[in-house]
Amino acid sequence: MDYDAIVIGAGHAGIEASLALSRLGFSTLLITQNLDAIGRLSCNPAIGGLAKGNLVREVDALGGEMGHLIDASMIQFRILNRRRGPAVQAPRAQADKFTYHRMAKETLEAQGKLALFQDTVVDILLGEDNSKIIGVSTERGHRITATVVVLTTGTFMEGKIFIGEYEARSGRLGESAAIGLGTALRQKGFTVGRLKTGTPARVRKSSLDFSAMVEQPGDPVMMPFSFDYQTIDRPSLQCHITWTNAETHRIIRENIHRSPLYGGKIVGKGPRYCPSIEDKVVRFPERERHQIFVEPEGVGTEEMYLNGMSSSLPEDVQVAFIRSIRGLEHAQIMRPAYAVEYDYLDPLQLYPSLESKHVKNLFIAGQTNGTSGYEEAACQGLVAGINAARKLAGEPPLILDRSESYTGVLIDDLVTKGTKEPYRMFTSRAEYRLNMRHDSADQRLTPKAHAVGLQPDEAMARLQEKLSRIEMVKDLLEKRKVEGRKAIELLRKPEIGIADLMESVPELASFEEPVCYQAELDVKYAGYVKRQERQVDRFSRMERIRIPEDFDYDALDGLSAESREKFKAVRPLSVGQAGRISGVRTSDLAILMVLLARRTDHDDEA
Amino acid sequence: MIWTRATRIRILGRMNVHTYDTKDIIYALATAWGTAPIAVIRISGQGCVEALKPLFSRPEALGASASHTVLHGDLIDPKYKNPIDEVLVTVFRDGRGYTGEESVEISCHGSIPGIESIFAQLKDVGMRPASPGEFTFRAFMHGRMDLTRAEAVMEIVSSQSRLSHSLALGRLEGNLFSLIEEIKQQVLQVVSMVELQLDYAEDEIADDVAFPFEALEEAKRRIDALLSTYEMGKLYGEGARVVLAGATNAGKSTLFNLLLREERSIVSEVHGTTRDFIESKTVLDGIPVRLYDTAGLRESSDAIEMEGIRRTRKLLSEADLILLMLDGTEHDDTSVSQYRHLLEDPRCILVWNKTDLTTKPPAKGSYPLSAKRGEGFATLRDEMVRRLTKETDRPDGQALVIESSRQRDELKHASDALVRAVALAREELPMDIVAVELAEALHALGSLTGEVASDDILERIFSRFCVGK
Repeated sequence: MDYDAIVIGAGHAGIEASLALSRLGFSTLLITQNLDAIGRLSCNPAIGGLAKGNLVREVDALGGEMGHLIDASMIQFRILNRRRGPAVQAPRAQADKFTYHRMAKETLEAQGKLALFQDTVVDILLGEDNSKIIGVSTERGHRITATVVVLTTGTFMEGKIFIGEYEARSGRLGESAAIGLGTALRQKGFTVGRLKTGTPARVRKSSLDFSAMVEQPGDPVMMPFSFDYQTIDRPSLQCHITWTNAETHRIIRENIHRSPLYGGKIVGKGPRYCPSIEDKVVRFPERERHQIFVEPEGVGTEEMYLNGMSSSLPEDVQVAFIRSIRGLEHAQIMRPAYAVEYDYLDPLQLYPSLESKHVKNLFIAGQTNGTSGYEEAACQGLVAGINAARKLAGEPPLILDRSESYTGVLIDDLVTKGTKEPYRMFTSRAEYRLNMRHDSADQRLTPKAHAVGLQPDEAMARLQEKLSRIEMVKDLLEKRKVEGRKAIELLRKPEIGIADLMESVPELASFEEPVCYQAELDVKYAGYVKRQERQVDRFSRMERIRIPEDFDYDALDGLSAESREKFKAVRPLSVGQAGRISGVRTSDLAILMVLLARRTDHDDEA
Repeated sequence: MIWTRATRIRILGRMNVHTYDTKDIIYALATAWGTAPIAVIRISGQGCVEALKPLFSRPEALGASASHTVLHGDLIDPKYKNPIDEVLVTVFRDGRGYTGEESVEISCHGSIPGIESIFAQLKDVGMRPASPGEFTFRAFMHGRMDLTRAEAVMEIVSSQSRLSHSLALGRLEGNLFSLIEEIKQQVLQVVSMVELQLDYAEDEIADDVAFPFEALEEAKRRIDALLSTYEMGKLYGEGARVVLAGATNAGKSTLFNLLLREERSIVSEVHGTTRDFIESKTVLDGIPVRLYDTAGLRESSDAIEMEGIRRTRKLLSEADLILLMLDGTEHDDTSVSQYRHLLEDPRCILVWNKTDLTTKPPAKGSYPLSAKRGEGFATLRDEMVRRLTKETDRPDGQALVIESSRQRDELKHASDALVRAVALAREELPMDIVAVELAEALHALGSLTGEVASDDILERIFSRFCVGK
């Protein structure tokens, strides 16, 4: 074997997978079509957001890189949803896309045991009985072997971009697609589908009238995504908000027939939650205007990103509707908006370890699995990398469950329900989000990463220190009296925050903000967290009823044909997972449970 | 998936899944155990037609019969070749019977000794009597019945009156299901709204929507209305306990028999292990009644009799209605006072018996009766029905009621969670906290109807709202 592991693709999934493998001591080759495109922010120049910010911090807690990269490149930082409750708050940062890419490439280059190579993978090599991967073959004719392979192709597999009547075989504008791999995988029996996504136009900063827009500043204090340090000191830039209007909508409506989406040229399904501007106009005719965020792409560039305006309409139409918007009347378009359609592999073909069910030692992560978003890609890349490494070491996979992380929710959703549209993480996808706050990601996951070998002892020591400081704050609040009452009792009132107690309990000032914040939440929401924990218990009981991988569903004559096919396709590993398969009937699940219960009884007797 | 292990244990536990073996051939009487013109014995299990052949006068015809055919013949005792009964045998081939297995129904004459001797023959050819619910269990395991229907069948099987039967039947047809589903949709609507707020940042969705207190309170009212039917459901499902108390020789046994004769649908007679009391079942105006004739209430030093009195006291404490019967020839207004503790009990009706033997006026507030002649019985009986149904509205047979304590518990759970959600929202706690309670309510309702996935919440969000970013 040339390498222990090969990672195909150097996007947000590939970066995490290759770093995890090499950091765990395995010789790894990262193959990318373009070394200058490593860690590119192809769409929105931002990391984080609701639920996504939690994913980034989970990646960090698990020993991944994304948190460090954004911390080193952020040009604006905000905590979203401060008003709506602790569990749904999340950090989001605008990134300088050049710095982000440069830091990513530097990190990979500085990593021991990791080789980088520019070429395009066109096929995978299978062992004698076609059940196991042994390497890859490339466009330039290289055959490279490895024990495990992680596939993270993003939008490049048979990628095709559309701008009105124009179309090109590209994964991004100006970057050619990876041709051949999707077809090769189809021929090898993988279920391959098409998905579509899009990106808005980039306009020139000096051509915009910001005085006609609403300013959107960042938070005064930047906070790191990573748990490895406490503060961050970078200059902050403004974003702006403007709105579409009746004229914008008229232009779009009159030209809708020129969109490849409506002409039927694009077959792939797009994301419902991130629709193109023409989609929004057509689907919500009653809306008078739609919000547009104008965001800087970086420090050394005039390119500005028009968040909320992705489109596949022809360029002349784009010019017309963009210039109909306040503040954008003289906008100079530097890159047009476009739609991209690409191959993805049905994630139902994966185990929760992200290993393929058909081809052993092949792990698949990121947009290839039908997700959307850098953060969704990164957490999968990390888990795939960890599990590829554990496979090499002969250890059981790391599987995170739905009650402990968004990463676990995401992967469980993918491998249990599959997806027919680009999958984005939302807090509402998680049943137990009170337990999954962004600020507690280290408590939830760092010990697991330490056990896997991706977090050093210092990280554990830091975690212990944090936990003991949180306890110290709670002790302090328990002992101190304010206006004749224990400070801790006052804090339980909804209208009182820990900041309100600073004056009466001055020692609080010596504790870091995250520590005070967590102590506050622990005190305030203990009862609800307890209720949630009971729900988690209920959930865990179902997860603990294991189903053998080779369970014979054909031997259960009572199952409905539909559920039987679904069970056979997904091969759930627990009754809990079986119950989450969409369209499985309760009674089928009950039949399964009865049989498993009897089987267990039988085993007990034996 | 919303299907807790507790639910599983409760439902499946009732079915004794661990002891059932689906490979055996099982039989049971499908009609009521009692004397009737016709009885039906149901047999189920692979190979049951073959196994029955030696007991049937036309074995070849039986073996060759197609599914859903009826054969006329005799059941015979294979040892002596003598006929036991003249019967009709209906054959259901594999996959076609009630259980989804090969099965046979024997229509025979409804005499208890006759049925017993048929059972003995069935046992001899290797079949075994079915455990309670086992037929339903098999139907369920072979995919012939879903879980909620199976649960309703279990209740029909064990229902004690025609009325409760029709209530369970309504559930079987999915009436209760659709009502709970409606309430669930109402809650889901609110959850979708809350989740939409939580899934998008403040700057993406322009305005906060007012919290829909009204919708939640309405959902809670509907749940509570359903909950309030539980007592009635229980009365008609489980039956009322009516205890006859009073001195020996007051005529309790005569009244006991009068009450039993009231309805023809006497289910069975169960004798106590000692002679402390006799329990019998009857039906009064559609209400199933378990009637207890107790030992006398007089003081005694006899150890055995004291034990009997102790048990009587226990029965009295659990009764829904107590008939205190006194001999009108021996008592007057003053002597009645020794039963004061019973008479003060709101469950007690004082029955003044033997009015045919005395001219003395009956005690105040008592119901005069001549159990021997039946005089006064109709009035007493009406009063009993009135008292038993006092707490509940009478169902019209169409109304939806809940009977199982599982349903009661889950509905209570949902109602409580909604109360907490509303309270938290009024205190202006963050929406993600309120959402925990809403999820709890949805979970409870979902466990009554099937599944609530976070998927259908998202589905609603996207079908009804336009969102940016």
